[in-house]
Amino acid sequence: MRTTGQLARVFGEPAVAQAAAARVLVVGAGGIGCELLKNLSMSGFRRIHAVDLDTIDLSNLNRQFLFRHRHIKRAKAEVAVQAIRDFNPGIDATARQANIKEAAYDVDWFGGFDLVFNALDNLEARRHVNAMCLAARVPLVESGTAGYLGQVTVISGGATECFECQPKAAERKTYPVCTIRSTPTAPIHCVVWAKDYLFAQLFGEQGDAADEDQGMGAEEKAENMEELLQLRTEARALARLADAVGGADFAQRVFAKVFSDDIARLLSMPDMWRQRRAPVQLDYAALRAGASAGFDPARADDQAVLAAADSLALFAHAAGRLAQRVVGQRRRGAAGALAFDKDDDDALAFVAATANLRSHAFGIAPQSVFAVKAMAGNIIPAIASTNAIVAGMMATQALLVLTRRLAECHTAYVVYGDGRPRTIIREPLAAPNPRCPVCRRRYLTLRVADCRRTTLGDVLGLVRALEGTATDLALGEDIAAVEGSRILYDPDFDDNLARPLADLGLVPGKMLTLASEDDDSTAVPVILSIAAQRPQGGAEQLPPPPPLAIEGFESLPEFGPLPDDAPDDAGSTAAAEAADAGSGANDLDDDGAIVLDADDDAVVALDDSDVDSVGHISDELHKRKLADATPPRDASSKRRALPGSEENDDDDVTMDD
Amino acid sequence: MQVAGADAPAGEEISKAEVALYDRQIRLWGLEAQGRLRRSAVCFDGVKAVTLEACKNLVLAGIGHITIHDSRPVAAADLEVQYYFQDGDMGRPKDQVLAERLRLLNPRVDVQAQGMDRAFDVVVAVGKTGSAAQAVAERCRQRGEKFVAADSFGLFGYLFADCLDKHEYLEGAKEGAPPQKATAAYRPLAQSLAARPDVANVQRLQRKYPPLVFVCQALVAGDSVEDEMTAAALEAAVAKTLQERDIPRGIVDGDLVGRVAQSWGAEIVACAAVVGGTLAQEVLKIVTQKDMPVNNWHVYDALRGDGITCTL
Repeated sequence: MRTTGQLARVFGEPAVAQAAAARVLVVGAGGIGCELLKNLSMSGFRRIHAVDLDTIDLSNLNRQFLFRHRHIKRAKAEVAVQAIRDFNPGIDATARQANIKEAAYDVDWFGGFDLVFNALDNLEARRHVNAMCLAARVPLVESGTAGYLGQVTVISGGATECFECQPKAAERKTYPVCTIRSTPTAPIHCVVWAKDYLFAQLFGEQGDAADEDQGMGAEEKAENMEELLQLRTEARALARLADAVGGADFAQRVFAKVFSDDIARLLSMPDMWRQRRAPVQLDYAALRAGASAGFDPARADDQAVLAAADSLALFAHAAGRLAQRVVGQRRRGAAGALAFDKDDDDALAFVAATANLRSHAFGIAPQSVFAVKAMAGNIIPAIASTNAIVAGMMATQALLVLTRRLAECHTAYVVYGDGRPRTIIREPLAAPNPRCPVCRRRYLTLRVADCRRTTLGDVLGLVRALEGTATDLALGEDIAAVEGSRILYDPDFDDNLARPLADLGLVPGKMLTLASEDDDSTAVPVILSIAAQRPQGGAEQLPPPPPLAIEGFESLPEFGPLPDDAPDDAGSTAAAEAADAGSGANDLDDDGAIVLDADDDAVVALDDSDVDSVGHISDELHKRKLADATPPRDASSKRRALPGSEENDDDDVTMDD
Repeated sequence: MQVAGADAPAGEEISKAEVALYDRQIRLWGLEAQGRLRRSAVCFDGVKAVTLEACKNLVLAGIGHITIHDSRPVAAADLEVQYYFQDGDMGRPKDQVLAERLRLLNPRVDVQAQGMDRAFDVVVAVGKTGSAAQAVAERCRQRGEKFVAADSFGLFGYLFADCLDKHEYLEGAKEGAPPQKATAAYRPLAQSLAARPDVANVQRLQRKYPPLVFVCQALVAGDSVEDEMTAAALEAAVAKTLQERDIPRGIVDGDLVGRVAQSWGAEIVACAAVVGGTLAQEVLKIVTQKDMPVNNWHVYDALRGDGITCTL
């Protein structure tokens, strides 16, 4: 065990003692996680548990310093924990390669920790851990980085803003279907078309491609009905072409369809091109003849921007290889479908080549394969130094939290740019948003002996039976029960009352929200964290616990009335502000992080498997950011959201199913 | 001016394997910067926790060469913060042990523990005060090498950069717009330590300069600075540096001096990680000539969570 004399001198003996006794959970052993695990193991922490679903990839090694080349493909959590054990052999560090959203990690499990750290790369997992920490009443140190930018904050349920008190920008950018399919104007439109439409239709599973009108309002649908019908016909024709996969002229037929016939159809609608630059049909034979001497598509330079003729050669090469793989799969009796993976060289080459051919047709600047990879894979840059700075601040905050110095904790932002007066900006921790739909809730634990026997009706009966007692939840007679986005019960929908909880997916680890349906009710909605009964070790004398019980009343927070100026509904405010924040267009901010718009008629979406967590920058910081920039931007955009987080690639620390 | 990169093969291209390894950072600063980074040589004179942190970040990023210079033996206090040092390293020269361990981190980077004879793009003096700091700073000026002084002690840290009279860089590289060439002039350390801010009013001074920077200046300047100092001794050192430059004494309050004195002579990893991260970032800016390096002081207060930059 390393000694801690200097730490004690600086932070005081109590902090060192608290750190040594605390059980801490680190969720994520990637860029921030590696740095944090190192800091904790060297800052007096002795009981450290790390969870990460991911395995190590070559592109992690520029920053995830606990990993070496020989560790590639191994579990991040395990390798990281072994490394910190080597740093400080006396510590009790454990690792789990797992998804933090698994049911096993329920409210009791989270409650076994004194402090939790989020070192995650995706919004969904960060939200989940935030909710679990609120339910288990465990403080959470939250973090995120993206390139040169980063942030750290401390969340203590009821006392500070939680992760969801401020709206976050959408994790994935979406585009109107007509932009993608008929009127692209930017490289990204062509990449989305190549990946989500062309690749998915030709090589993906049947019906894999997005429905054309998905997400469109009825009015929009009516307006675009004619075009949508056309697009559907087009897609069907392409799907038929997919059956020709592996044929000798497959690539040529695909080319003729998408770069010649479909463009001819678009050109037949002159109205469409009155305000826009009209596309040109591409000529297969002419391009074929114009290939650069010596260009070898198998050895194409990722950094080079290929000429149209070379893109054609790359397309034909990649399409051939992908087709062979599909045919091979089918021969072995499999479905014969490929999913786009940015680290699959053939898939990437196909998307890059076809996106660039489309760019040539529409007069859009073509891109290198390297650049297309970032767009198709939603890669967010990541460097060692930002993660080091953020994780260092997390360790300091942790010592403050453990010694109950919450008032000294802060939100800190790592910023970057020429001549900025600050590289790290701090703000005091903010009070919770009184309208927050996540932390302004009463969190209670629902203990269930057997989720296969207890019904939803039993739960509601128990809640109603509490009426008039000291633990009245004040929800009244009319209650709505919701899990995630699923409505399980309301006064007009009682189909599920007799169903066992397990049937409804309500098992330990899940949360059931109960809210009053009475319009006049001021009752705070209740979130019941489902958990198993506590084991009764060696207590034969005690009566058996009831099969169903609600715990946690003693620490129910008191929520005051809403302020008069509070908007009626947090959700709509969030949406409005998100839209407001993005009103400036799809600009890239100073730091290269994409500022996401809340797009109106979003239809085609980039696959979000690669999108990182999204951090938020508060009003105050945004004001300062604005003040730093000259000239100041539109002051009405109050809040700006950055996609902020460490990883990008497939390094989602917790993968969604 | 000697350019360390000059003896590396010019225009050598970054290999595909390197692009794959450094993918996530090349997407941030570009291939050209990565190439400059690989052709650059940096010296760290002084091994402390912040040296390890900064070197780790630079080795991961793929810098060309690092020389570490500090032949003092590994001591018990080092083991508290140097995670690459083990019990068996006690008594061995710090620079040799650190160089050995850093090499394992990225085999592409040349890490040496040796003298400071070769030419460097940047020399970083870590934890040096008084004449020792001055000597390194002056030597760099004479040799045309860029100089950085840095330290992390307890809950505080600083860095000072002297990128010579004319540092050329590309600024404000924004998507879609070509980066602009720019230059910045830097002050030698001695001049900065004697600089007289042209503001007399305490409030306005405090707005322009974080009080901590004057405490750090007193530490860097002071030959009488000891390994461990009482608040009174540090107070006297701060008073001296302020008085010599006609800066109102009131700019630095006693509470801050007391907190710094308590931190002085101790190292903690949490703070060193932040200062080392910032230090690596500034060294990267200097050698890649992308964006302006801090001109010329940066101070960090871990409890407050402030990282502030100013020119003195």
